[in-house]
Amino acid sequence: MAAREPQFNQQVLVDTTPMPADIPSVQEVGATSAPLTSAAYFIGDRCKAFNDDYMKCKQEANGRGEFDCLKEGRKVTRCAASVIKDINTHCLKQFTAHWECLENNNHHLWECRKPEMELNKCVFDKLGLKKTIPGAPEGQTPVHLRPKQIYAQFPGPQY
Amino acid sequence: MPQDMPPVGGYGPVQYKRNIPARGFRPITYLVGMHLLMGYGYYKLFHGIREQNELAREKVWGRLHILPLLQAEEDRDQVRRHFADKAREKELLGSESKVYNTERFVRPTFVYTPTKVTQ
Repeated sequence: MAAREPQFNQQVLVDTTPMPADIPSVQEVGATSAPLTSAAYFIGDRCKAFNDDYMKCKQEANGRGEFDCLKEGRKVTRCAASVIKDINTHCLKQFTAHWECLENNNHHLWECRKPEMELNKCVFDKLGLKKTIPGAPEGQTPVHLRPKQIYAQFPGPQY
Repeated sequence: MPQDMPPVGGYGPVQYKRNIPARGFRPITYLVGMHLLMGYGYYKLFHGIREQNELAREKVWGRLHILPLLQAEEDRDQVRRHFADKAREKELLGSESKVYNTERFVRPTFVYTPTKVTQ
């Protein structure tokens, strides 16, 4: 039975031809979803100008612009990679703690407020990047700074 | 012989009603209590929904901040595959043909799959 090898799998489907040499190369970020989620607000804080530039380019190309926006895209990737690199050099322990917590909790940010507070503090002290949620109602504590997280498995004071 | 007559002073009252005390509190207590409980529930629901909105906002903005990064990576990958397709076509056919009557990049319907394991 079933002596035949599977014909289609993820391994054979990848075309690994490199980019032509006349297009400047850029190292991809290479981070998985949890570290990216963890670092998203810091990336957004430092790289806002590049991100906006790239999205404007995409919008002017009617959402396509795969070729036109290569330059802006490289800037976006370099900036994000620089943020990840800085966090890794300065706050590796807190960063690892936070994204592993996210990984273990279905990427629910509200389950990981304690590691997040430590990460935010470290990143703000070392890199000066701050997590702010745009559009949050004024006069209230932002949701990531509230001591009680009513949807967490332990809803009491988190830190 | 004298006839049987009621006792002097008449019969005593007949107890047709059971003498059981009414259970529980007054009905108004239950009505008010139910509304208080319900009010408490709505209070918690109100704040819960507010919290959910804020958590959703946090999640969406986090995603928005890394969205250009993900899109740029995807675009680069598409461009790389496009040039690889062109080079392969040139090598196999000796010429490049235009599939679409337009200059812009069209995401391919079919992708090239290598025959050997590449990764």
